Amino acid sequence: MANIAIQRIKREFKEVVKSEEVAKCNIRVEPKNDNFTELRGEIQGPPETPYEGGMYILDIKIPETYPFNPPKVQFVTKIWHPNISSVTGAICLDILKDQWAAAMTLRTVLLSLQALLAAAEPDDPQDAVVAKQYKENLEMFNTTARHWANVYAGATKREVECDSKIQQLKNMGFEEHKARVALSTYNWNVERAMEHILT
Amino acid sequence: MSQEMKSQCSDEYHSSDEDMDEDINNYYEDMGDDNDVNEIQEDDPESFEFELLKVEDVERLLNESVETLCKAINVAPSLAKLLLHMQKWLSTDVIARYRQDSSKLLRDSRLAPTNVVQVCNSPFTTCPVCLQRCPAEIMSGLTCGHRFCNDCWQQHFAVQIQTAVSTGIECMFKDCCVLVPEDFVLQIVTNPKIRDKYQEFCFRDYVNSHPELRFCPGPNCSTVIRATERKAKRVVCKECNTCFCFRCGIDYHAPTDCDTIKKWLTKCADDSETANYISAHTKDCPKCHVCIEKNGGCNHMQCSKCKHDFCWMCLGDWKTHGSEYYECSRYKENPNIANESAHAQAREALKKYLFYFERWENHAKSLQLEEQTLDNIKKRIEEKVMNNSGTWIDWQYLLDAAFLLKKCRYTLQYTYPYAYYLDKGPRKSLFEYQQAQLEAEVENLSWKVERAEITDRGDLENQMDIAEKRRLTLVRDFLEL
Ligand SMILES: [Zn+2]
Ligand SMILES: [Zn+2]
Ligand SMILES: [Zn+2]
Ligand SMILES: [Zn+2]
Ligand SMILES: [Zn+2]
Ligand SMILES: [Zn+2]
Repeated sequence: MANIAIQRIKREFKEVVKSEEVAKCNIRVEPKNDNFTELRGEIQGPPETPYEGGMYILDIKIPETYPFNPPKVQFVTKIWHPNISSVTGAICLDILKDQWAAAMTLRTVLLSLQALLAAAEPDDPQDAVVAKQYKENLEMFNTTARHWANVYAGATKREVECDSKIQQLKNMGFEEHKARVALSTYNWNVERAMEHILT
Repeated sequence: MSQEMKSQCSDEYHSSDEDMDEDINNYYEDMGDDNDVNEIQEDDPESFEFELLKVEDVERLLNESVETLCKAINVAPSLAKLLLHMQKWLSTDVIARYRQDSSKLLRDSRLAPTNVVQVCNSPFTTCPVCLQRCPAEIMSGLTCGHRFCNDCWQQHFAVQIQTAVSTGIECMFKDCCVLVPEDFVLQIVTNPKIRDKYQEFCFRDYVNSHPELRFCPGPNCSTVIRATERKAKRVVCKECNTCFCFRCGIDYHAPTDCDTIKKWLTKCADDSETANYISAHTKDCPKCHVCIEKNGGCNHMQCSKCKHDFCWMCLGDWKTHGSEYYECSRYKENPNIANESAHAQAREALKKYLFYFERWENHAKSLQLEEQTLDNIKKRIEEKVMNNSGTWIDWQYLLDAAFLLKKCRYTLQYTYPYAYYLDKGPRKSLFEYQQAQLEAEVENLSWKVERAEITDRGDLENQMDIAEKRRLTLVRDFLEL
């Protein structure tokens, strides 16, 4: 990796990422290897959102040309959000693309992601299915997002009805995550979800 | 501008006292566009004045604009250039707006920030990108006041230029959109390869933002076309022979307008699967059912076995075509379609599209086949001249006929997308009438050109005259300018 990229990351760790301010916002980042090309990020779901109480793990890759090109960031923790793929964890966020500026830091990125969890942009979706639900049935979306936060991110609020419908499909021999995706996609309509899995 | 680079779409006919070989060569290069037998000039709806510029000519032209602006409003040349680029090279407009409110114009053009940052005067500051403490003399910045070390600038520029960004390079600060002028980049970037690339990309951006300029879309052609009005007119690049529309840059498409032809081409690309079966090169003779291959451009077919004359498109009897050609080129919509089921409507829509697509495609193919006819004519003339059977001048009319045929068929091809999108009504009826007239005369001309040596010269020239008149009438009545 280019000299400047390593230097920059190291300084970011020393001066920015480990600051008290960062701790207060409940974001964290740590290196996965010695040469700082791969990092593990963590953000806490913001309060008063379906993600509240959840902890989201991020996979961060630092390109050779950092900070002149943005880091590559993906959600490892599964999440139900219009701008994040429910399948791959890929993120649609302008600062990770053409709105990146070299003076931004990992801290800016993590805080922006946290802000994205608090304010989705359904008109610029990464996951069309999720975005559709968000726009057409916000209550259903919130329920689904809370359920995913509970199951995958350790948030405490359980969605009992969702759990029981998944159990229903599991009892019929369907795999749990597959059942969850199908039910989430078809607004928790058990029959349509089954139809979808079977076709 | 050198005089010989000046050009006009409907050039004068070649004088006969020039070197004949040279003349013929020019002729081939001209693609027949200057082959106006009728010499209709003043009210030629397709005539268009343009210039072909070389890269140096364009650079000179742009620099002149920059100099003029610098003198008028007293700004640095590099800033003036970016200002002109951002304001589409409308010098007078820029000068007026600058005098009215210079800071607003600079902000609107992203050459000044919305709010300026206080520049810190301490001898050492931290570069916000590499986070290193740097002495003030190796830090620099733009009008926004954001300062970074020169190493960071250099790498920023390299990364941007690598992804073909040039005039659009911005300050490195978060949410700062101030653009970096050319001289700032060139002061920092030392690598000659990257400098060259940067200047090349800038040039491309300047031409693209200039309303009077357009790159020739021909492969590997660096010619730039200049015309004072951005109209949907025919431009022919003399360097590479590409013939295109000045307004949208794709193949010339009269009488269809730019938006419609784009829609049509997208539709054809999307529906290519559906339309694939049309590409058949053989059909059966409607009378004796022998298989007939189409090997010329002409749609007037004659069965080699039973000598039956028929139309390749609709397989109708050719004898009735003279008077009823209308029925061949016009799509007859089901008048009750609005009351039919959605399924029937979809089928009807597809049928309609295929009708027009088939004709569009067929003329495109005929054009290719006519290219061969043209080659054959050239060869035959060469043989004749070699055998002292007349001179090039004697046989010139055959080439003229073949070129004119191409031109007429080209227009005819582009009448089909026009008709496809035209709403039902008297205008469509008139269009289809003229289209049918043109179609009939084009096929007559095609028939005669393929049999040129056994056709009487006067007869052939008469047919050329009729076909071109039909073409011009249609273009004049329907080409929207
Ligand atoms: Zn700035
Ligand atoms: Zn720096
Ligand atoms: Zn060209
Ligand atoms: Zn056009
Ligand atoms: Zn026959
Ligand atoms: Zn026909």
